[in-house]
Amino acid sequence: MYKYEFRESRDYGGVIVQQEHLKIRKRSVKMTAVVVVHGGAWAIPDDLAKASVDGVKAAACEGFSVLKRGGSALDAVESAVKALEDNTVFNAGHGAALNMEGEVELDAIIMDGRTLASGAVSSVKNIANPVSLARAVMEKTDHIMLTGRGANLFAESIGVVTVPTHTLVTQYERKEWEKHKGYVTGVMEDFNSQWAHDTVGAVAVDCAGNVACATSTGGIRNKMVGRVGDSPIIGCGGYADNFSGAVSCTGHGESILKVTLARLILSHIEQGKSVEDASQLSLRYMGERVRGAGGAIVVSQSGRWAATFSTERMAWAAVEQDVLWYGLDPNERIKEQLSQ
Amino acid sequence: MLPVLVVHGGAGHIPEERAERSTAGVCSAARAGYAVFQRGGSSMDAVVEAVTQLENNPSFNAGCGSVLNVKGEVEMDAIVMEGKTLASGAVCAVRNIANPVQLARLIMDKTSHACLTAEGANHFARLMGVPEVTQESLITEYSRMRWKKNLTPDANPVECQMGKMGTVGAVAVDSEGNVACATSTGGILNKMEGRVGDTPCIGCGGYADNQSGAVSTTGHGEAIMKVTLARHILFHMEQGQSAEAASDLGLAYMKSRVGGLGGVVTVDPQGNWAARFSSKQMSWAAVQKDTLHYGLYTGEHVTKSIAEPQ
Repeated sequence: MYKYEFRESRDYGGVIVQQEHLKIRKRSVKMTAVVVVHGGAWAIPDDLAKASVDGVKAAACEGFSVLKRGGSALDAVESAVKALEDNTVFNAGHGAALNMEGEVELDAIIMDGRTLASGAVSSVKNIANPVSLARAVMEKTDHIMLTGRGANLFAESIGVVTVPTHTLVTQYERKEWEKHKGYVTGVMEDFNSQWAHDTVGAVAVDCAGNVACATSTGGIRNKMVGRVGDSPIIGCGGYADNFSGAVSCTGHGESILKVTLARLILSHIEQGKSVEDASQLSLRYMGERVRGAGGAIVVSQSGRWAATFSTERMAWAAVEQDVLWYGLDPNERIKEQLSQ
Repeated sequence: MLPVLVVHGGAGHIPEERAERSTAGVCSAARAGYAVFQRGGSSMDAVVEAVTQLENNPSFNAGCGSVLNVKGEVEMDAIVMEGKTLASGAVCAVRNIANPVQLARLIMDKTSHACLTAEGANHFARLMGVPEVTQESLITEYSRMRWKKNLTPDANPVECQMGKMGTVGAVAVDSEGNVACATSTGGILNKMEGRVGDTPCIGCGGYADNQSGAVSTTGHGEAIMKVTLARHILFHMEQGQSAEAASDLGLAYMKSRVGGLGGVVTVDPQGNWAARFSSKQMSWAAVQKDTLHYGLYTGEHVTKSIAEPQ
């Protein structure tokens, strides 16, 4: 009801929009802070299951501790995703998948739902935390996205340390790459979701009622040099808008691009759907229309959240009011009380 | 009603001395794109042909005539998308290619990816046998003059950016009801190396879906990205708005929410179309049946028979 009121006003007049902003801020003082993270949606093998779940749990707690200290949603998603990038279990930052040439090329995005400001990097090399570089693009340039060498030049210009490629590559990934490099990265393999595409991401809402999202990935193994997937593309790998919510996506990148999955989920929320229904409808649509599988985490300004996937598994975790929720298999939802 | 093709040559402030060339350019690109239908081509063939013409025309900020980045180099972005399958192809920050829109289509047709960037895009172009052209061949005297002017200490970046726009694009629907879009640009004047704007980002620079329609956008790139303008307009059309109303709603939202100006061309699968803008001007042209439509200023809408000489 309230949402509708706003939709009408924002389309037709700037003045009313301002009033609605105030209303939301006042209303949201009572809001509880929530952070949700994912470690990628795919057929996670059993030998990676525990490490993946432990990783997302730790990252969610990391993000929540930022919120608890009074940090913004933006700070929380950045620090949660940094924790996942630093964790070698996940395909982002340290542990990223290798491209056809055996190199690491990373994509990341971050978005602030209050202003719709966003920053992204694509195909950047030798950076340990692409999500932080994406945030620097948002805060220190007039642009939203920097790519390839340009992104690295910018990193240098602001004093971001570059790391040698080998420090980003795990033994596990090098071995998997050797094993698979004879294959052609066909779309069908990815649809079967047997191949690792464990993008990581986080969404959060802070006590002020601001939402944010962040997504980071090494992309798909054996990708062509310069391949950009959904992760750094606004509306695909992530989107955040205080008036609807924040989303971070994972799964088959080219399918997510085709349906602009993050934006699609939020458009359902704008139409009055719950975070859960919006995610499920959109993932089902992606399956039917372009035969793609994936997952998404969503949080609304009022603190409602969902972690949904159409793949075999997705490692996810959420923290709200000192309660940690997590899961890996479909319908799995485990609750754990955090110490105050 | 079908087929129809609509092109734009960029929204913004077009200096008077360049206005005529801009209008002539979009009209001839619209005719060329429409001629593809008459040869039995698809909407995808038509938008690629129209945008190729605009890229080859030095009056527009795409292909030859692209604006220069801060280092005085040309880096181009482009996207194509077809509404039947939602397949798309895009290139970002690609160099030394005469027609980025054709390279974007090759990515859609020949790879399992949707977007290739920078050196990777050039590497793919070489694999496909796409000829490399010199930087010089893409740079015009005008673009170099504006780049230099913006580097001088007394430069007024805001003033310089006013004429910056000129991204080109096209949308079309063929007689089978398939929609398609294509957009191509040199980006913004004196941009940082590697800057990617809205153009190659699906849902921002363009989107096409047979269930709603196709949009190609132009204008303030970072604002277009923030609201994913193309996708936003199509959401309105999914909700029952006409191509024209949805375009206006999208542009008004972009203005009120993030303070950005721009323009769009939009079609729906039935052949209804619109060319709308919130900027001062946008050069646009459309061909439907035997009529050529075009305009540059708000409210300007000239029609003539395509049988008339150009």
